[in-house]
Amino acid sequence: MQDVRMRIGTATLLTLVAFFSVPGAMGVFVWWLVFTPRLQEVKRIRIVAGTLGLIALAALFIIVSGGDGISYLIRMGAIILIGVWLYSEQETGEFLHLGVWLLGNRTGFELGMIAEMGMQMADSLAADLDRIRMAMTIKGQPWGVRILVPAGLILVNDALVRSQDTAELMAVRGFYRGGSFCPQFIHRRYDLIPVMAAIVVGFLAFVPVSEFLILYR
Amino acid sequence: MRLQLNGARAFRGDWSLEAEGAFGEGIHLVSGNVGSGKSTLAQMLAGLLSPSHGTIGREGIRSSMISLQFPEYHVTGSTVAEECRSWGLDPVPVLSELNLMEKQDRAPLMLSRGELKRLHLACVLAKNYDLLLLDEPFSSLDAREKERICGLISQRTSGITVLFTHEQTTFPRVDYLWEIQQGMLIERGELPGALHDWTHAPVLIKRLMASGKNLKNISPLDLQEATCRT
Repeated sequence: MQDVRMRIGTATLLTLVAFFSVPGAMGVFVWWLVFTPRLQEVKRIRIVAGTLGLIALAALFIIVSGGDGISYLIRMGAIILIGVWLYSEQETGEFLHLGVWLLGNRTGFELGMIAEMGMQMADSLAADLDRIRMAMTIKGQPWGVRILVPAGLILVNDALVRSQDTAELMAVRGFYRGGSFCPQFIHRRYDLIPVMAAIVVGFLAFVPVSEFLILYR
Repeated sequence: MRLQLNGARAFRGDWSLEAEGAFGEGIHLVSGNVGSGKSTLAQMLAGLLSPSHGTIGREGIRSSMISLQFPEYHVTGSTVAEECRSWGLDPVPVLSELNLMEKQDRAPLMLSRGELKRLHLACVLAKNYDLLLLDEPFSSLDAREKERICGLISQRTSGITVLFTHEQTTFPRVDYLWEIQQGMLIERGELPGALHDWTHAPVLIKRLMASGKNLKNISPLDLQEATCRT
């Protein structure tokens, strides 16, 4: 899906659908199977497996404490999959286009730029984590739970240093607020199909279709 | 002790690097332009990167270490002292030697690049590895520190040491010279004979050679001796 507005709108709708009902979450899962590259994304973005594992753990805890852990697992799993799809489709600069289109050259520009910086930071953190793993290999140290705290501290510190550098660079270049930007979007006719399918999933999840059909028996 | 490259090749898009030859005991210098593939070759020799074609064989090498170009890539400790410990070293003598004792509780990434590079090299050179690969070891160092590091490298009397650098001013005493040109690793041979074929030679060395002053080696002392020779 090339148009970021359609993509974010679709993702928001599907997230709400998955969050509010189990049948909706199952519909979202079917949508994900049909309209996304599925497991290729999950394999590429390694953090997904860990996140799904944590959700499964939380679901187990809910079941043990007497709650509906299965419902939680299905709904959160569907939301994570939609998040993965949204993240993997994201292109650099799209949030800036979206922000300015939505809220104009001041607030929209700033929000879009912050979102872009956030995406860059996420990519940088993934690269830093790879480097720490390589450094551990070079030093002949095993990768395990013991490294999590120092690795986390390094990542946070690195992120703060980068943010400081970016802030200084923007100040040196005279950034004060807002900016001038002409948003552009790529439209493809095919993109309407997954959008319409998401609306159908939402309709089926929120509208009591079965009761509506019973009336006609 | 020997590191044998048998048609080892690495690819990155349209770019490729092919390496053939054997690194024996001694100090080897691999020179080449920025982006020629020195770091890629260093990582292949260290085993961090598998060659797409060919093989890399190790004979009699029981321990190895690679120093990557950017010292940040080695950091695994949350403080300067922890970083020393992560190399299996007691921080007190290491940090005292580097005048970094006052900064031992700081995050390593809060050190300046030069300080971090000095700390990193001190940790790497504190142990005696059979195979030591140094990728741009002189980057971020001032002239005095470069000479000090050259002295430490020259003190390695055993094992295989390979320097990958485009440094133009300061070198340790080198036994063998290699170059990377147009995606190929080329063995120039043993010094001083190999200096005549060194296409990436620094200007000073080229001028000394052109004026008929034969160099014994390329360490600062050798260059000084050749320059002052009448």
